[in-house]
This record gives sequence, C-alpha cells and structure tokens, in this order.
Amino acid sequence: MHVGMPAIAAWMLVSTVATAAELDVVVVDARGAPAEDAVVSLHGGDAPPPRAAVTREIDQRNETFIPYVEVFRPGDRVVFRNSDRTRHHVYSFAPAKSFEFVIAPGGDTPAVVLDRVGEIAVGCNIHDRMITHLYVSDAPWVAKSDAQGHAVFRGLPNSRYEVRVWHPQLRPGKAEPEQAVDVAGDTATLRFSLPLLADPRPDPADNERARY
Amino acid sequence: MNFRLRLALLFVTTLVAVQVFTALLAYGVARRALIADGERQLAVGAAAVAHQLDDISSRVADNVQVLSLDFALRAAIAQNDQSTVLSALRNHGRRIGAERMLLVGLDGTVRSDTAEPAGGAFPFADLADAALDHPAAAVVALDGKAYWMIVVPVYAPKPIALIAAGIPVDDALLAHLQQLSALPNTLELVTRGADDRWTGIAHGDDRVGIAPALAGRELPLQPTLVRLDASEYVVLATRLRESERSTPVAAVLGYSLDDALRPYRSVAIAWASLVALGLAIGLIGALLIARGVARPIEKLAAAAHRIGTGDYAPAAPMIKSDEVGQLAAALSNMTLAIAEREERIRYQAEHDAVTALPNRHAAEAVIRHALSTRPAAGALLMVGLARLPEIIQTMGHTISDRLMRDAGARLRPFAARGVVARATDTQFALWLDGADKADAIAIAFRILDVLGVPYQESDLSIDAAPAIGIALHPVHGEEASTLLRRAEIALFAALGAEDPVAVYDASTDPHRPERLTLMTELREALDRNQLRLHYQPKLRLADDRIDGAEALLRWQHPLRGAVPPDTFIPLAERTGNIRRVTRWVLASGIAQAHVWAARGHALRIAINLSARDLDDADLPTRVADLLSLHAVAPRNIVLELTESAVMGEPDTAVQVLKRLADLGIDLAIDDFGVGQSSLAYLRRLPVREIKIDRFFTQKLGEDVGDRTLVRSIVELGHRLGYRVTAEGIETRAAFEYLRDVGCDHVQGYYIAAALEPDALEAMLTRDGGATNRGVRA
Repeated sequence: MHVGMPAIAAWMLVSTVATAAELDVVVVDARGAPAEDAVVSLHGGDAPPPRAAVTREIDQRNETFIPYVEVFRPGDRVVFRNSDRTRHHVYSFAPAKSFEFVIAPGGDTPAVVLDRVGEIAVGCNIHDRMITHLYVSDAPWVAKSDAQGHAVFRGLPNSRYEVRVWHPQLRPGKAEPEQAVDVAGDTATLRFSLPLLADPRPDPADNERARY
Repeated sequence: MNFRLRLALLFVTTLVAVQVFTALLAYGVARRALIADGERQLAVGAAAVAHQLDDISSRVADNVQVLSLDFALRAAIAQNDQSTVLSALRNHGRRIGAERMLLVGLDGTVRSDTAEPAGGAFPFADLADAALDHPAAAVVALDGKAYWMIVVPVYAPKPIALIAAGIPVDDALLAHLQQLSALPNTLELVTRGADDRWTGIAHGDDRVGIAPALAGRELPLQPTLVRLDASEYVVLATRLRESERSTPVAAVLGYSLDDALRPYRSVAIAWASLVALGLAIGLIGALLIARGVARPIEKLAAAAHRIGTGDYAPAAPMIKSDEVGQLAAALSNMTLAIAEREERIRYQAEHDAVTALPNRHAAEAVIRHALSTRPAAGALLMVGLARLPEIIQTMGHTISDRLMRDAGARLRPFAARGVVARATDTQFALWLDGADKADAIAIAFRILDVLGVPYQESDLSIDAAPAIGIALHPVHGEEASTLLRRAEIALFAALGAEDPVAVYDASTDPHRPERLTLMTELREALDRNQLRLHYQPKLRLADDRIDGAEALLRWQHPLRGAVPPDTFIPLAERTGNIRRVTRWVLASGIAQAHVWAARGHALRIAINLSARDLDDADLPTRVADLLSLHAVAPRNIVLELTESAVMGEPDTAVQVLKRLADLGIDLAIDDFGVGQSSLAYLRRLPVREIKIDRFFTQKLGEDVGDRTLVRSIVELGHRLGYRVTAEGIETRAAFEYLRDVGCDHVQGYYIAAALEPDALEAMLTRDGGATNRGVRA
C-alpha cells in the first residue's frame, strides 16, 4: 500500500481533468472479513498514459517480507533489502522471473528487472514461512486493497470494465475471479468474496520468532 | 426310604442346589463383568487405536512435509525435472518408510509415481484438495493392502504441487501399536471387499481374523458379542480417517472372553474342589446329624412299641437336653404313668375293695395257674358266712363290710399255702396247694376256729356263723371254675347241715352238667310225647271201691330207659321247665278223665302241681279251659300240692288256689306231716283233702308211735273237715289199721301200683268197679 499509493496518487493527478466516475471494489474472504493485499485489475475503457519504470524495494524485517504483495509494471525493478541480523536466501522459481540471492545481514540485492507479466512468489530457503508476491501486471488500471479490503479507482472514464481480482491465498490452479461493471459518472461499487487459504505468514504475535 | 436317608438327602440336595446356583450366579456375574470390562477395554482401545494412528499419521505427515521443503526437490519440481523428482521421491520415501510416493499436480494429475507410470488422475482427490489447508491423511485400501495416504503441498514458496506418500499399515505396525499400548489382544483392519463383505487386510500379533464373524452384519460400532471359531469375542469397530474415494477401512478390536476367563479357570477348579470337599464334609456331617437325630427317634419308637406290648420297664435314660430328649423324658413319664395306672386298674380288677383280697376272677386265675403245673393234689375251700345276709339287713353294709374285712384279715395267714380270695359278697375262697382231703378238712376246722371268735366292735359282738365247703383236686374237678362251683355247692350243703364242713358229693349235686342235658331232653320228650301218665288207684275204704286215681308222670327215655320223676321233676322246677310239664300233665290227665267218664268209670283224677305252678296266675284259667274243652266236671279233678309248696307262699299263690277251688276243684295237701305245716295257715286255704306221707304209713304194722300219729292225723283231719288219704300202703296190717281208724282212702302197692290207663280200666272192669281188696299179693 505504501508502495501503491504514490502511483495512484500520481495517476490521479494526471487524470483529474478527465475524472468522470469512481469504482470502489470491496474484497472480502469467505467469512466476510476484509481481504487486504488483493490485487484488483480493470480491463476496458481508455488506458491512462504509461508511467516511467521504477525500482521498488522489498525489505526483510523480522523474518518477514515487507510488503506482502507489491504491484509492478513490466520493466520495473525490484531490490531486496535485509534488515535482519540473519541471512536470508531469497529465491523464486516463478516462470516470470526466477532468481536466487543469499543476502547477508544489512545487505541488499542488485535490482532485478521484472520484464514479464506474471506473479512471482518469492520465498526464503532458510525461513520457510517468509513469502512475498511480486505481481507484474500490464492491466490499464490496477490497485491493491487496503486493510479494509477496499481498492478505490477514481476518475475512471465511463465504460464497461472487466474487473479481475488476484490474491496470494487464492487456491492454486483456479482461474482468477472476474466481474464486469459499467462505470457511468457516479460511484460504483463491486464486491468480491474470495475463498482464501490460510495466511502462510507467521502470526505477528508468535513469540517463537522473537527467540532468534 | 427312612427318615435318616431323607434328612441326609435333603441336606445334600440343598447344598448342591446352593452351590450350583452360586456357581451359575458367579459365572454369570463374572461373565457379565468380563463382558462389561471387555466393552470398556474395547472402547478405550478403539479410541487409543484411532488416536495412535492419528498420532503416527501426523508425525509421518510432518516428515513428509519436511521432505517437501527440500530445496533441491522444490527446485526440481519447479523446473519440472522429472527424473530428479522421481529419484528424490524414491530417496525421501525410503527415509520415511513409504512404499509409494507420488507427485501430484495442483490440477490433480499424477506427475510422478514411484510405483506406476505417471499421467493418471490421483485417486484420492479429496485428500489432494484438503492438503492445501492442512496435511491430509487417510487410511486407504489399495490392492488388498492398507496404506496411510498422506498428502502435503510443495511450497516454492507458494504451493506448486502435492506430494503423496503411501505408508503401509501392515501386521508389523499393528503389532507395534499393540505393544505400545494395552490394547486388547485382537486387532484387525478390515475393508469392504468387492462382494460387500468385510475382509481383513491387516492383523495384530495374534493373527486372529475377526472379519469372518462380521459376515452379514453392519460394522459393530457398539460392543457386540460374536462367536468366532467356537470362541466368544466382544468386538468393536472404529472407523479410521478415510478418504471418500477409498473403500472404507475400519479397525476392529476383539476381546476374547475365553482368554479373559482363562485366569478364572484355576479359581473355578479350586472352587469346584472346595465344593466337592464341602459336599463330602456336608454329606458326612448330614449323615452324622441325621443319625444323631434319627437314632434317638428310632430308639423312642422301639420303646413306644415295647410299651405298646405292655413292657413298662424304664427305657435307658437319654441325656440329651434337646427336643428328642424332652420327648424321651415325656415318653418315660408316660410309661411310668401308664404302668402305675395299669397296675391300679389291674389291682382293682383283681382285688376286692373291702378286704383287699384277690377277687374271684383273680383267684380263679391263680388256681388255674396252679393247676397248669398238674399238681398231685389240691383243695379249694369255700368259706361262707351264713348270717351275713341277715347282718346286712339289720345293720347295713358298713358293719358287714367291716366284718368281712376282719374276716379277710383273719383268713389271710392261710394264704401261705395258696391263695385267699373273696369269692362273693358272703364267701371266701381258699386254694391250698398240694392239700389232700385230710389236710383240707383239718385246715377247714382251723379256719372255723379262727372265724368262730365273734367279731367285736365297740358294744357289738357278731357271730357270723361260718361254714366251709371243700372241693378236691383232682377228684372233684380238673378246672378252677369247676372246683369253685363244686366247693360252693359243698358250702351250700354245709350251710344247711349240722356239720359246718362239707366235702363235695357228686351224688347230691343238683347242678351236675348231665342235668342240663336231661332238661334239654325233657323238652324234647314233651314235644315228642315220650311222657306218659300212669294212674295209681285210690281205694275208698267206706265201700272198698276204687273211686279215684293219682296221675303219676313216667318218662320212658329212648336211651336211658325209665327216668324216675324224683330225678327230673326237681330239676324241671329249678330250671323253669316245670310249668310246661304241669301243662302237659293237666291236659293229659283231664283228657283221660273225660275218656273214663265217657266210659262210665266214676274216677276222680288227682293231678300234682308244683310249688312253681302257683306263681302262674293263668293256671286257674287254663284249668277251666281244659275242663270245658274236655267236658269234664270239676269235681272229677283233684289237684295235689305238697306241704312245702303251700307254706310261706305269698298271697298270689293263695289267690290262685282260691280261684281253683272256686272252679269247684278239690285241692289236696300231699306228703302231709313231714313238712312244717302250720295248721292255722292251712285253715286259710281252700283245701279239701290231706294225704298222709308214706313216712308214717310204711311201718304202721309194728310202730306204735306211728299208729298213734296216724290215728291223730286222721282224727284231726276229720275234725277240721278234710278228707284223709293214706299213701304208701304196702301191707295188710297198715291197710287194716287205716280202716280201723276211719281213714277215707288208701293208696299204695297193697292196692295197686301205678298203672297204665288201659291196665287200670281193665282192673276196674274186672272188679266191676267195686273191689273188696282183702289181699293183693
């Protein structure tokens, strides 16, 4: 979210003039709880102007990748930083980009160019429960849900949009949920209810990690 | 079956019944307890089996999960390096003891398989589906074997595939499970086969297959009793974690009742031995107790039987204080009481209350006993007190009883030689063993001396006038009763005689048995008309004509010959037969009177009456009837009575006589002069004739005294208005003297003996009715 906000803010500045409508996509899990870190992408309508490639940093702190989900445009770069006092062995076997780095405490990796669209799950070979997802998307509109499960799109041109939602805990092997919506001048709301797997990350309240 | 045996049997039967009942109860309780215990054990065991299997499966799953995190494996999977993946799976499978390892894609297709070629669909899709949420494990049946199928995702770092590990659940594992825990000794995994029957696919260490016993049953999810190869098992099945896609697999636990009962077998044997021992002891004890109870009862029964036969000897005292002892004591008391009472009754039966001497009955028994030894001699003395009836009448029974008691006391010393008894109210009987006639008479006189001393009481002095009759054994009788009777007869003779001691004389005994026979024959003679009347003519001295005849009874016995009237008439009087005789005589005599009257013979027929006939109030009527029946005038009949018959007779006799006289019949006094006739009394009777007894007439020829007496009687009779007849005239001198003194009639052999009617009639006819009888001879 921290990473996503500037992009949206920038985009919002650009598209203020043409603002015509707003779309609020709410993502909840099967029990109705807000689902954070869902990536909502809209297809259709006039695409906004492309932005310049950026480098984003994924920090590793307290044996946790921060953030859990980061959205990239093709050509963006990613750098992994180790803020822990242990080594981390980050790797990816994803088709979109596979890599493997052993990062000493306090070190970081060279920037990795994410040039192909796709989801890249990144783990640590030392710490099984560390995971982060790099979501490389070329969709015209893309946003990540906040802690309340909201992903809000403003200044959308009136149009019909295909709305797709991806979430790291979606059951594998299933197609991404998709809904169509007509945006016409005012605020539209769309709700996604997703069956999610358990969060693989350790519970922040888990004391086990504090012992290392 | 006697009491003792029954008692013992009851004991033993009760003991056996109680023991059998107890045994059945104990067996039932033990069996139920064991079943309940088995059910409890099975429930615990089933939970334990499921729990342990889960436990093991989760550990294995953890192991598989760890394997799945192997970086190289993940890399190979991610890079789809088939041969590396397969070899890694084999390698890792060996590590965890899996028999089969599979790599399954997230789409459910088998990407690698250590057992079969890859490419097919993973058969347990539900496990694959669940594995993303948590490690999935189930017990499945594959090719007749049981496996844990454990499925875990492969994270790289997100799930990219699933690893399935098939770990065999085999006999060794079950045995291991059983060793780890106190599971029942029978454990089996079953699965439902193609034919819907439960089939065992793995067994515990005892290799027992329960599956056959489940044929046709639902899975026994509750404890169930089944029979398996002649043994009883409690079985309980528990479903294991299973896959929807697999045929169901269940663990069946068995609890062998036989095995559970086995430890009790030694207890049962010990118990049975104890029962047998108890039974033996009980049997012996029961027999002993029964004997203890029955013996005294049998003894008592024997004692009671003995008492019943009259043996009152006290039984051996029984020391027991129980009921039997009380019974014995009561029986003993009863025996004493009975003996005492019987003794008293016997004493009373055998003794006279007044004199305390044996009574006649007892005396008779004693004498009979003495006679049974067939002694050479013996004497029975009957002592009578002649004045006793008079004493009773004048002084009452109290005095007479005291007199008798005194007499008894005086006689008692004579019992030394035999027995003294009170025979009747007025008589004592003495039996003298071995006494002959001389002894008996000597003792009799000593008794008279003893009793002759008058009885003294205050101012009273009584002479009882004793007399003694003696009967001797064996001459007078062989039997006690005979001796008693004859001694009594002798006593009667003594009482009436001067000599107060009389020995029995058979010739004077009116009670000889042959007399009774004679009476029987007399009655027969009356019925058969064996009696005859003979007629002795009476001569009228005034004209020497026979004008009368005395009817005399003659009995011509077919065997005995002529029976003299002196013999049977007194007997008939005493035996009550005289009235029949009189009746016959009257009828016969009156009939004869009619015959003779019809033929022109003027004869007065004299007929004798007995004193006993005067008691018969019907006599005059009967005589009158006979007279009218035969048309005989009363004056042709004379009825003769002895002096003793009319003397002292009561008024009834006088009435009878008067009525006879009123009929017109003359009455005559027979045997006049020998009795104690009171002339004053005679004057009151309607007598017309007196007959002088032959005692005075037989010596009339020579005896001056008799002549004077007869003359006086004739004169007196005439003065008093009687006709006078003299009897027993046998000589001419007597005949002539009687004619001289003016006697009216004479009768006797000098005139004629008693004749048969025909002979008399012939005599009357020959003499022409008027016979001048000078000489008869």
